[in-house]
Amino acid sequence: MKLTDEMKEALSIIGGGGAVVHLTTCSADGKPNTVAERFVGVFKDEYIVIADMFAQKTRVNLFENPIGVITIAHPVKGRTWAFRGPTTILQEGLPPDYKFHGAVAKEVLDEWGNWAEKEPPSEVPPDIKPPRLVQRGVIIMKVEECYSYKPEEAGKKIL
Amino acid sequence: MAKLTPRMRNWLEGLGAHIGTATKKGFPTVIVVDSAKVEGDNIVKFQLADAQVEQIKQNIEENPRVALGPGGLGSIRAAYQFKGSARLEGNTLIVEVNEIYCTKPGPEAALRLDVLPYESIIKFENTRWRDTGPPK
Repeated sequence: MKLTDEMKEALSIIGGGGAVVHLTTCSADGKPNTVAERFVGVFKDEYIVIADMFAQKTRVNLFENPIGVITIAHPVKGRTWAFRGPTTILQEGLPPDYKFHGAVAKEVLDEWGNWAEKEPPSEVPPDIKPPRLVQRGVIIMKVEECYSYKPEEAGKKIL
Repeated sequence: MAKLTPRMRNWLEGLGAHIGTATKKGFPTVIVVDSAKVEGDNIVKFQLADAQVEQIKQNIEENPRVALGPGGLGSIRAAYQFKGSARLEGNTLIVEVNEIYCTKPGPEAALRLDVLPYESIIKFENTRWRDTGPPK
């Protein structure tokens, strides 16, 4: 599933017109975990990437249950979207040809493995800026569906 | 038992939450509600639209565990995650919060707050944030 241009804009860091998102994962027996993520991007029009800044529970969940939901949190601007699909964390040290649902780990890490260099968080206000952008890897979702979270049409398929 | 602080209550009531639910086998579905009502120490009530009830009803029946991430500007300013047990009464989703975490990026991300004495949670908030809720 290819993301639209409007979606790609929303799915970039907040200073660049994008938004903060919530990433929801859950344990294999169904205990959910919902956390805000500020460093978001798109890989090859079909994948959403997020800087893995030592996400603790997210990692445990994704390594036993590789699926997630990403919802636009702020600013929403009518972009009431929830993206769902297989999700994992890629990091240096994987075999060079390792693929996750078609995405080659090395290519993802070459493009998004150093967020501080690629998109320095200069526009993040100082009081909410992380002390230092320490990145361990890249959280990646292969978007398989997008539904609306607008209350009166919640669950309506968008893509 | 978890006890929400006034700051937590103000953010949840003012801007609602992204509510993570899942089947008992771990297939997630998220709904978003833009306001809430906090009652007592740890009860958060959300008014859902019919379509939202339909979307999560089965999940809540088979697996009442939910996670709440503050909505809107709260996703940045109110760096908390609330976990608890939910039930539906008509279109009201009633969440009993029993875990509270700090999700502020950096050295205190994932710090569990509800296990601290209440006074320590207040002190923690006062030294980490300046606001007491969303801007009016």
